[in-house]
Amino acid sequence: MIAEMREALQAALAELLGRQVEISEPVLLPGGASKEAWAVDAGEERLLVRRAGGGVIHRHTLSLRHEFEVLEVAYEQGVRAPRPVAYIEDLEGREAFVMERLEGETIGRRIVRAPVPESLPVQMAEELAKIHALPAERLPFLEEATIDRLVVELDEVGEPHPAIELGLWWLREHAPPPREPVVVHGDFRIGNLVIDASGLVGVLDWEFTHLDDPARDLAFGLVRAWRFGVPEKRLGGIGDVEPYLDRYNELTGFDVRPDELDYWEVAGNVGWAIGCLTQAQRHLTGQDRSVELAILGRLGAEVEYEICHLLERQGVT
Amino acid sequence: MSERPTPDELAEAIEEFLAGEILPTLADHRLRFRLLVALNALGIVRRELTKLPPVDDAEQRELATRIRAGDVPGGTLARLKADVVARLQVASPHYVERYAADE
Repeated sequence: MIAEMREALQAALAELLGRQVEISEPVLLPGGASKEAWAVDAGEERLLVRRAGGGVIHRHTLSLRHEFEVLEVAYEQGVRAPRPVAYIEDLEGREAFVMERLEGETIGRRIVRAPVPESLPVQMAEELAKIHALPAERLPFLEEATIDRLVVELDEVGEPHPAIELGLWWLREHAPPPREPVVVHGDFRIGNLVIDASGLVGVLDWEFTHLDDPARDLAFGLVRAWRFGVPEKRLGGIGDVEPYLDRYNELTGFDVRPDELDYWEVAGNVGWAIGCLTQAQRHLTGQDRSVELAILGRLGAEVEYEICHLLERQGVT
Repeated sequence: MSERPTPDELAEAIEEFLAGEILPTLADHRLRFRLLVALNALGIVRRELTKLPPVDDAEQRELATRIRAGDVPGGTLARLKADVVARLQVASPHYVERYAADE
């Protein structure tokens, strides 16, 4: 499999770059059930090949072609992200794209335990401000995602989850005045960011990019599951929300209020609780058999507990 | 309370993982043999579990439907939280305890 992949990749890169390239043996990186990630070097260049896996996380993710286009626009507009190299329509039977392989840590559990610069929350705010200023007209395929879409996804799972329903009910009852939709990353959190000792090296995983309320994107990194066992640091287990929110508001002029973050933090948890169920469905339906996906169906209860806790704090009884 | 994956579905997922991904990597004959025995044992567990009667989730379904319709009387959250805690005692026994310690 690896020999074939090397040959196919070498041929594809030679054609796309218009020159002969000699590549190292591709190494399949762990994680990422819906997409494969291959590390490969072409001479001095460190590359990462993102290739379609067996299925898709769910139908609301971008195709690799569109994800590549988003990455191109983001990189061009100065967002810290891997340099996009090439889109490959058929790499051993599946679509793929090639990008720069950034150096740094992406594993959430390691990041929250490693020394990170105090400025990391501010750096995250700066990247998010740039992302929210990306020209939507250059990415006409991006769709808007509403809270109602979560209901559709939950109904597709078909299991009764009253705690998630209560979260959805609260979100319907307390929606803040809607903001003008902007381009949002959709999964901006520790785990999808490359971090090193100097801070944020690059933003990864653009497959959930869509048009939405910017405050929703800003709050997603606050979801407890993405604090990786350091819950007292509300921003992804690495820092406080205040400097992050202040810097973001300073750069965008959006004046996002803390109570909006609270609202969207509930939404982020509801979304991830449903995400756990849909991931388990991928296993249960045979689309992508894996113990890691299967167990998420049960671990979603942790997220439901957090929903209950957040609603309690909002005065729900 | 209906919970997916069901116990037998979880056992099946483990069986597939061990047989499909671990077994082919084992060169040691003794370990291979012991893994095959473990898989036999796990198969017994899975088949026993398939004999369990299906869990009745009618009450949860009704509750979910009522909340969807906006019928949320006081005390709803407390009740749901108790249900979630009961599920966590199976799925992630230390979670609630750790959560309380972190607050």
